[in-house]
Amino acid sequence: MEKHEQTENKGMSRRRFLSVMAGTGLVGAAATMTGCSPVSDPSGTGWLPNQYRNASAMPVKVKGRVPLAPENVSLVRNDEKCILCGQCLEACEKVQSVFGYYELPVLDEFICVHCGQCALWCPTGAISERDDIEKVWNAIQDPDTYVVVQTSPATRVGIGEEFGMGAGAWAEGQMVTALRKLGFDMVVDTNFSADLTIMEEGSELVERVSHGGVLPQLTSCCPGWVKFVEYYYPELIPNLSSARSPMMMHGSTLKTYNAEKLGKDPKKIVNVAIMPCVAKKFEISREQFHGLQGGAGHYYNDDTINDMDYVLSVRELAKMIRKFLPDADNFANYEEGKYDQIGSTAGLIFGNTGGVMEAAVRSAYKLITGNNPPAGLYDLQPVRGLEGIKRASVNVPGVGEVKVVVASGLANARQLCEEIKSGKADFHFLEVMACPGGCIAGGGQPKTAVPPQDWVREARTATVYEHDKAGQIGDTNEKGGQDLYLRLSHENPMITDIYNEFLEKPLSHLAHELCHTTYVDRSSHLVRKDV
Amino acid sequence: MANSVVTNQKGVLVDLTKCVGCGSCTVACKMWNNQSFQHPQTEEFQNAHGVDVELDSNTWTTVDHKLVEKDGKEVWRFVKRQCMHCLDPACLSVCFSHSFHQTNEGAVQYNPELCVGCRYCMIACPFDVPKYEWEKVMPSVMKCQFCSSKLADGEAPACASVCPTDALMFGNRDELLAKAHEIISSDSKYVNHVYGEKEVGGTSWLYISDVPFGELGFPTNLPEQSVPGNIHEFTRFTLPIFAVGATAWAGISMYTSRRHKVHEAEHGHHDEK
Repeated sequence: MEKHEQTENKGMSRRRFLSVMAGTGLVGAAATMTGCSPVSDPSGTGWLPNQYRNASAMPVKVKGRVPLAPENVSLVRNDEKCILCGQCLEACEKVQSVFGYYELPVLDEFICVHCGQCALWCPTGAISERDDIEKVWNAIQDPDTYVVVQTSPATRVGIGEEFGMGAGAWAEGQMVTALRKLGFDMVVDTNFSADLTIMEEGSELVERVSHGGVLPQLTSCCPGWVKFVEYYYPELIPNLSSARSPMMMHGSTLKTYNAEKLGKDPKKIVNVAIMPCVAKKFEISREQFHGLQGGAGHYYNDDTINDMDYVLSVRELAKMIRKFLPDADNFANYEEGKYDQIGSTAGLIFGNTGGVMEAAVRSAYKLITGNNPPAGLYDLQPVRGLEGIKRASVNVPGVGEVKVVVASGLANARQLCEEIKSGKADFHFLEVMACPGGCIAGGGQPKTAVPPQDWVREARTATVYEHDKAGQIGDTNEKGGQDLYLRLSHENPMITDIYNEFLEKPLSHLAHELCHTTYVDRSSHLVRKDV
Repeated sequence: MANSVVTNQKGVLVDLTKCVGCGSCTVACKMWNNQSFQHPQTEEFQNAHGVDVELDSNTWTTVDHKLVEKDGKEVWRFVKRQCMHCLDPACLSVCFSHSFHQTNEGAVQYNPELCVGCRYCMIACPFDVPKYEWEKVMPSVMKCQFCSSKLADGEAPACASVCPTDALMFGNRDELLAKAHEIISSDSKYVNHVYGEKEVGGTSWLYISDVPFGELGFPTNLPEQSVPGNIHEFTRFTLPIFAVGATAWAGISMYTSRRHKVHEAEHGHHDEK
């Protein structure tokens, strides 16, 4: 049977098979050559978001993406992940009023204030911070270096989210423990330098108010805001507080005051900061903080010393913990680590929009009147909350009404800048944070909701205020029993120490070198567009 | 010389002064054409925008970041590059395997299924656009297709549809050309030249700029006549020359063979003995 079937299958002779094949080939080739053969359409068949499936004459509002320079020190973009959803541009233009607020053609720069809101809005993670984990890890591994890490106020209400602790979970102790496990030699708190900022910036405000200086004074803690002023409102540079951001004050004092106390060679100290921010990566690249122009470099007359060395976002720290700590999954249960240098909860509330203002008011009151502020000033409701622009006035004995304004989101700040420019501003002090909600919702924070949502901001904000109310930061509560202790920057014993042992007094010559800075007019890099 | 197939000539007007270098168009191109970000030969990841980024078989459009001098200062200008979609394309005219054809909308479409890989088109193209798949065993030539299927559906090409600053304006070529002249004449910052209006007989893509095109890497020595139109001056003699040659050859052949026969008849079979 099988044999028979096989014979039947060989119905076609070899000769005939070959001639049929050759014939088909010839016909096909002829058809192809003459263009008669049906061929598939070679045009693209990919996918694009729906808003692009029309004629470009249609007024599509959400399209494209932000321009990002390849050499941007804060942000990078992976084109492979970009889906052109347009969200980065929405954030940059509508929230921050950066894109679209300069005339085209462009000049010599990709205009960017490095706030990182685009990275927070990006649903695919195409835009992210420039990854500096390896550099920090190499510094830690280097036995010659003494690696000091500082953590910004807002980090402790963000990092827990990366480890399943829920929005706004308090994870200060766990974070300190993780940092020690990673091998940092010293873990300090930026809350401390926030206190230092209050002393310097508060004294500057008192100086300006009482001696007829340029008002209103603008805060300078936020590097995104500072660059925004330098680009768009150079005429307001004299209004900017000359005080450095807390991180930069910390950088310079760690390499001078602390280096001397510890007996460390400042050249061997590597300063790392964990920040809820990517603009801080830009800030440390400013030449005002490098070498002889910087604080520590100038102090030692050494061109090789920079005040700060590396900045990691909270997201990067989380990545680092997952990568290098085998028990990272257990982060939530890490023991409560303690800082080597502590701050007050006035420093802590720097993380919230309105926090710098509230902390400054508390200490300015003391600086002006000599007395600690009344209880109401520990709960300055008008400057709290997520509203874009908040106005308040504080009655300070001897000075009268001090009018303060708080803004977060640069589009809101822009309104106030216009107010100042037009001479309509009647306030004395303006706090601006580039990111809506302040640093707790900064461009370097975990992407717990994309795009950023108020319920996350509210959770983080609430945790910060809760801990301010408890006033329980640090374990050196020597004056235990006093409720308000450590809710005031000027009562932080380590602040008293640094002035007694090193800086003498706020605004002293040395304080100016280490804790203050200068700004650059960047308006020549763009043509401002009046929108 | 424009192909009679083109009944609805579309175009894109690129206003180089409006480009901010975001590279959206390059990403849209990759997305629509399902292309990876790997360089076809080096296999390294690369963005399709940046300094000195070049077209390749896998990258049909680029945005070239150029730092040029303008009024004594260095400024960034960003130049989108892709197939210009000539009205009378040289690539089409040289291709003997009919791999190229024009669509109703004027897209110069390349079909790899018909390509034999001779690379004449690459030599013919005045803009150095077609790129070869050197890494493949059976390589094709690759280039921008002007999203011909999107155009046929009444949509803008992928790149133009995503531009956030309207630096890429899609529409009917004649209207865009009028618009380009209107913009140039109403704003003195522009160079008085619409690139692509006349170059090699005109292109679907048109550019206006405030920096001379030569400084931005555009070929500026192109004739106004199209390449096929130009060589037509002598290629049109091809058939007559062949015909005359063939006739002459036939004549000579007939003459010599007849002479041979006559010679044989006259002298008989001398050698047979």
